[in-house]
Amino acid sequence: MARSVDLFTQYPLIVDPTSKAISLSTNTTTSTSYTHSQTTALNTELTTLNTLHRNLLSLETPGGIPPPPLPINPKRTAQITKLKDTANTAFRKNNHAEAVRLYTFALDMALSRPGWEPVSLARDELAALYANRAQAYMSQREWAEGLVDARASVEAKPMGNAKAWWRGGQCLVEMGRWEEAKAFVGRGIEIEGKESEGGKELVQLMGEVEEGLKRAAQATASSS
Amino acid sequence: MVDWITLAVPFAYLSVLIGSLATFSSLYRKRKARKATSLEPWFPPHIQRDIYFSLLHLEPSGSSKEKEKEKEKEKKVPESVLKAALLRRATEDIRRVMALRSQKQALSILLQRGSVGDDLWQRFLRAEKEMEEEVRDVVSEANAYVPGWGQTIFQSANEMVNNALIRERIEKHQKKLEEEKAWWDKKKANIQEGFMKELDAEKGVDSTKPAAPVAVESKKVDAPAAASAPPAPTVTESDEDAVLVEADDQPAASAAVQKSPGGGKKKKKGKK
Repeated sequence: MARSVDLFTQYPLIVDPTSKAISLSTNTTTSTSYTHSQTTALNTELTTLNTLHRNLLSLETPGGIPPPPLPINPKRTAQITKLKDTANTAFRKNNHAEAVRLYTFALDMALSRPGWEPVSLARDELAALYANRAQAYMSQREWAEGLVDARASVEAKPMGNAKAWWRGGQCLVEMGRWEEAKAFVGRGIEIEGKESEGGKELVQLMGEVEEGLKRAAQATASSS
Repeated sequence: MVDWITLAVPFAYLSVLIGSLATFSSLYRKRKARKATSLEPWFPPHIQRDIYFSLLHLEPSGSSKEKEKEKEKEKKVPESVLKAALLRRATEDIRRVMALRSQKQALSILLQRGSVGDDLWQRFLRAEKEMEEEVRDVVSEANAYVPGWGQTIFQSANEMVNNALIRERIEKHQKKLEEEKAWWDKKKANIQEGFMKELDAEKGVDSTKPAAPVAVESKKVDAPAAASAPPAPTVTESDEDAVLVEADDQPAASAAVQKSPGGGKKKKKGKK
């Protein structure tokens, strides 16, 4: 008896002769033997495979294989840093809309970083860029956008990211979502600690949040 | 004669006994083996692996024919595609190996307590063994493409898994943007509405008349003033006030609310 390790399911795949893209053969005889969910799963897998293939083709490494995670290819990092710096200058010149646009470019670039590059690097970059974009949104009083970016930033890097915690909390405060603000800032304080530089600011913000909560409670009590 | 019969009895007894034991044991073993093979696999089918092998087997089907056709077939599935497929397979393996690792401890504790059945543990062990072989297979395949790739393919795959994970999470946050924006816009509108209502209520108390929209209100303010003085820019302060009320929205209107007693005074002045 053949062991299960040696067995596999043969899928009716076809290769596009020019683009080398793999796809599922659409013969009626073969496609009927799969359920709908199976075909969708297969098709999504094949699309990711084709994207990965294109990424691999653009590599300059010998043999066309992804290089080991370290050392890092400095090209993309330099580009992203450059974009970030221009965005920062735009922000400092109070050109907030332009800063948002530039940060978005930098983010797109950071997000399209190939998957085999170290994840810690991607996390740091994304966290910084999202936090900065949140700040640029906040300067334009766009609290909802700021909140979403701050959340993305702390998701990418919860530790040592007090600024993003503070910004997210501030956005929630501005929108009057006291309960959520309390939870968010509380988590930030938990992670950052009260003693650190950013932690103190978070504690201060927490005080504001609690006051706001009290006021909101009084308002509801008096109105009802 | 008698001796033969008496001798046959114990032999018959023995043969029946051994025969029944043998059939029982063989049946039992067969059943057990069937049960073991019918155990559900731990993981769902490994799509990436199947695709990789499907691609690999696209080639030999043509190689049995003429040489030219074989070359054409080889062109059909370039090596880079196979490498990409292998990389995809490695990432899925990483995901599975990590899943097994995280499940192992919990499962062994559950087994010790007797909370889960033995067959679950059997399934788990089988999955573990399969994954070991799978990983070894991927490493040897990778080395076959490029010598030395076997050492780094799983490092790359690991980073790919983690990168995909973090991007997915961020994507989830970013997807909420529209929802958050819509919520905030609605809330903003609500606040404004509430503000206006408050304003109207205040106004109603102030002028002891039923609450009316701001535009009407402002007319009410300036109507007496206009009656007393012609709408020329030269005349009184009260006119200026009225213009202010009409030009701006609620902040100015609220200012008008506060000023409205003053407006009343001015009316008197105008009448004099």
